[in-house]
Amino acid sequence: MKFRVERDVLAEAVAWAARSLPARPPAPVLAGLLLKASAGTLSLSGFDYEVSARVEVEADVEDEGTVLVSGRLLADISRSLPNRPVELSTDGVRVNVVCGSSRFTLHTLPVDEYPALPAMPEASGSVPGDVFAAAVAQVAIAAGRDDTLPVLTGVRIEIEGDTVTLAATDRYRFAVREFLWKPEVSDMSAVALVPAKTLLDTAKSLTSGDTVSLALAGSGGGEGLIGFEGAGRRTTTRLLEGDLPKYRTLFPTEFSAVAVIETAPFVEAVKRVALVAERNTPVRLTFEQDVLTLEAGSSDDAQATERLDARLEGDDISIAFNPTFLLDGLSAIDSPVAQLSFTTHTKPALLSGRPAIDAEANEAYRYLIMPVRLSG
Amino acid sequence: MTVWDDVVGQQRVVDQLSAAALAAGALITADPAEARPDSSAMTHAWLFTGPPGSGRATAARAFAAALQCVSPDRALGAAPGCGFCEGCHTTLVGTHADVEVVRTDLLTIGVKDTRDLVRRSSLTPAGGRWQVIVLEDADRLTEGAGNVLLKAVEEPAPRTVWLLCAPSLEDVLPTIRSRCRALVLRTPPAEAIADTLVRRDGVDPQMAAFAARAAHGHIGRARRLATDEGARTRREEVLRIPQMVSDIGGCLKAAQQLVDSAVEDARQVAEGTDAKETEELRAALGASGAGSRLPRGTAGVLKDLQDRQKRRATRTQRDTLDRALIDLAGFYRDVLAVQVGAATELCNAELRPTIDRFAASSTPEHTLRRIEAVLDCRRALDRNVAPLLALEAMTVSLRAA
Repeated sequence: MKFRVERDVLAEAVAWAARSLPARPPAPVLAGLLLKASAGTLSLSGFDYEVSARVEVEADVEDEGTVLVSGRLLADISRSLPNRPVELSTDGVRVNVVCGSSRFTLHTLPVDEYPALPAMPEASGSVPGDVFAAAVAQVAIAAGRDDTLPVLTGVRIEIEGDTVTLAATDRYRFAVREFLWKPEVSDMSAVALVPAKTLLDTAKSLTSGDTVSLALAGSGGGEGLIGFEGAGRRTTTRLLEGDLPKYRTLFPTEFSAVAVIETAPFVEAVKRVALVAERNTPVRLTFEQDVLTLEAGSSDDAQATERLDARLEGDDISIAFNPTFLLDGLSAIDSPVAQLSFTTHTKPALLSGRPAIDAEANEAYRYLIMPVRLSG
Repeated sequence: MTVWDDVVGQQRVVDQLSAAALAAGALITADPAEARPDSSAMTHAWLFTGPPGSGRATAARAFAAALQCVSPDRALGAAPGCGFCEGCHTTLVGTHADVEVVRTDLLTIGVKDTRDLVRRSSLTPAGGRWQVIVLEDADRLTEGAGNVLLKAVEEPAPRTVWLLCAPSLEDVLPTIRSRCRALVLRTPPAEAIADTLVRRDGVDPQMAAFAARAAHGHIGRARRLATDEGARTRREEVLRIPQMVSDIGGCLKAAQQLVDSAVEDARQVAEGTDAKETEELRAALGASGAGSRLPRGTAGVLKDLQDRQKRRATRTQRDTLDRALIDLAGFYRDVLAVQVGAATELCNAELRPTIDRFAASSTPEHTLRRIEAVLDCRRALDRNVAPLLALEAMTVSLRAA
């Protein structure tokens, strides 16, 4: 194998592909980066048994071939090479990297022990990279982290025609985000459960391209893989089996009260008051005639209260939340004004964002949060 | 060559597993529109049991390979498990994406390790076939860890298969046991082992026969005896112990000798594999040649490996002592066989004159008591008694009996 490639192109590609290499490789070969040169393109791939990453760049290929080299080392080297074309060639079991007057010789790893990379499913549609990354970040925050309940560690991606719905829950909150996309087939319908952490990393790493295309392999039957592609970079990841509980009925549609609060002062106040809330104790919110009173702590311990302007339509209500879950939601709505809708103090409340005090609530993102039941 | 070649003397089990792999293949290629093919031969959780050395883990790995076999011949009706295709090969070398082999160098597998397994078991396979989780030491699961696994083993994702290995059914929690299909491996007959040694390792037939007999059906041990001069010498030393224990001084010396040879054995095993493993990992991380600097941030990975190797050394030492004790028990078994005139083959036929002498100079009661002393010592070691003390106690009671 022998090819020439621009230094910046190589460094960027290697750095991206090497990101998905496992920090603690389960088998030595997985610390390797698979370089494949063929007809004008060079592809680099990494795999950690769960996520595969593959990037294609243009290269001046003289001899075709495949080689496996230590990804970490190649990333370090390509980052610090001088800005000249890089020539990579194999020589028996070694690889020579020549760039300007510097020259490196690397060991290769056995290619035949490298596991087969999962095949990229066919593209199902595309969406702007930043929209996708933002939507994923909003939803993944609510995903569970308990490995013994694997289903809840995933983000559910539901595709129905030109609408994509992302949903995640850890039983105490439920985040749902809808956005539009361009499907390949207009009447497409599919569901996939993707590990939240992986999805978050992937979405972030693909923001450089204009659009991200999503590819879903046949859903059900356990053959599930989901692929993401953007700007020559593609990753696949394994899906979780199972499905989230049916959530549409969990979201209340009729409310007894709707409160509208400016987000920034609300967040500050919750953070302050929460200082005296011990682990697992709630922050209490009392809405009375356009004044919101936040309280935390019990009479035996430290206590805090704070008053805040709020607009309330409907009945007065007193309700308590886990401050972390509330803050997560407030940061995820990403709007200057927050709208909280209540039914009763024992039923979940719905959090959504408003662009301004008097504007309509943005229904694309909804965050359902369970209250903490107060005794007495 | 097929993946089953390494599974020695277990034809019945191999037949059952081949049938299962075939049914599993049919499930994958089946057209979803048509009726599901008969899949009763395949199930989602298997428990491999059998005496140490019978090849439980080997059988499990072979089955995993057969499940991942992608040989083009399969479309023509060939049995799964060709041993050459990418699926088989990467499974056998341990790098297949969908085969997770869990083994431990520690004494137990705890809750923390199993949590991650539960998560993995609910993922879909990367290669579109089966996700196989091989738990080589299911007997070492703590009760808590077993309970974490219960749900995952009972109802795994549709394409996840659990392969658990344990010496006997009783070593696994009853709740786990009842969720698995049991497969019992027998002690492979000496002829089958000898045959494998000749065929695969090119061992001289006479040596192979000796090693197979001396290893009491332990395949790995037999290979080691047949190919490693040092292992044979150490075994001879162990078998000389019955003649050394005529006085207290001899007893203590014999015990010391046993411990020394176990340490030596562990060191030799370590020398062979540790250096190779370390070198492979260093190369993968990008350090070329011994002594060269590792890339930044990778020292931790190497340290993990070193810790693991250290733990393995401790376990090798224990295993070696245990094996020595089994050899010793085998000797007394032969003595007993001669004393009661049983018409079985002796494990140590080459020591016939010594055995006859022992048989003539003691009674079966004595011999039984001696065997009991050896087994007591194994139990003591199992409970973490200092090896030298336990062995001294044993050699002294060998003399007293």
